[in-house]
Amino acid sequence: MKPTPYFNRSLWAFHFNSGSCNGCEIEIVAAITPRYDPERFGIKLVGSPRHADVLVVTGPVVKKMKDRLIRVYNQIPDPKVVMCIGTCGISGGVFYDSYNLEGPVDEIIPVDVYVPGCPPRPEAIIHGVVTALAKLERLEGGSV
Amino acid sequence: MPLQTRAGILLPFSEVPEMTLIESLSTGTGFWNPLAWLIAVVVAAVIVYLIRHRGEPGYKKGTIQTVPFISGNPEPDKEMVHVRASNLYWGYLDALKGYYDLIVPAHTGVLNDYMLWYLGIMAALFVVVMFI
Repeated sequence: MKPTPYFNRSLWAFHFNSGSCNGCEIEIVAAITPRYDPERFGIKLVGSPRHADVLVVTGPVVKKMKDRLIRVYNQIPDPKVVMCIGTCGISGGVFYDSYNLEGPVDEIIPVDVYVPGCPPRPEAIIHGVVTALAKLERLEGGSV
Repeated sequence: MPLQTRAGILLPFSEVPEMTLIESLSTGTGFWNPLAWLIAVVVAAVIVYLIRHRGEPGYKKGTIQTVPFISGNPEPDKEMVHVRASNLYWGYLDALKGYYDLIVPAHTGVLNDYMLWYLGIMAALFVVVMFI
């Protein structure tokens, strides 16, 4: 629930680990520490996709996580933006030919913002969030 | 003027004071005013409406967006997630397990068995009353 219309510019993100090695998770956590403090701009992680504007996906999408990723994506209210963080989610990374992969992410759900790196630095993640925010504002404005 | 009665006193029907809609009834242990209750219900309904009105309006009804989030897993049937009475009474039943292990098998549901129990208990009582 957005308490007031002024919170509409806040970006609430839901993080989904689709089989990541935890490297990207460490960098996401680093990005939300007081060193960068994106929460002062209203950017924060939430515990449910039903509260989120952005789906932050890490990992190459293993078989067990495919259905759950689709379900979580569908549970986010519109308009929504998907961020793919890390090389694994973009291309499969070192696991690209694994028997256990259903991914990469954009073969399962539509991706709006790619943040490459193994893992990407917090600055890159924050840049991706800003890009996602701009995309979301265009979606809400109906220009895209 | 509030109507006055005394707690614990039963009045004959002819002496029960009549109430109007906005009149308070003081019973000695509290008071009752239908209009106050009506106002309270209306105020509560307005508060509920305001809270609900400020919720997220972007959900599409009838889609997966309105079902509970269970870590990405499908929502089980309501019967599967319902907390049964046996869950609430587990400690009670477990503490009296010795008692229930004897009593539950005795309840066979067969009328003949119950009649045998009835006659047996009656015979035992007869012996107790007559000879002890």
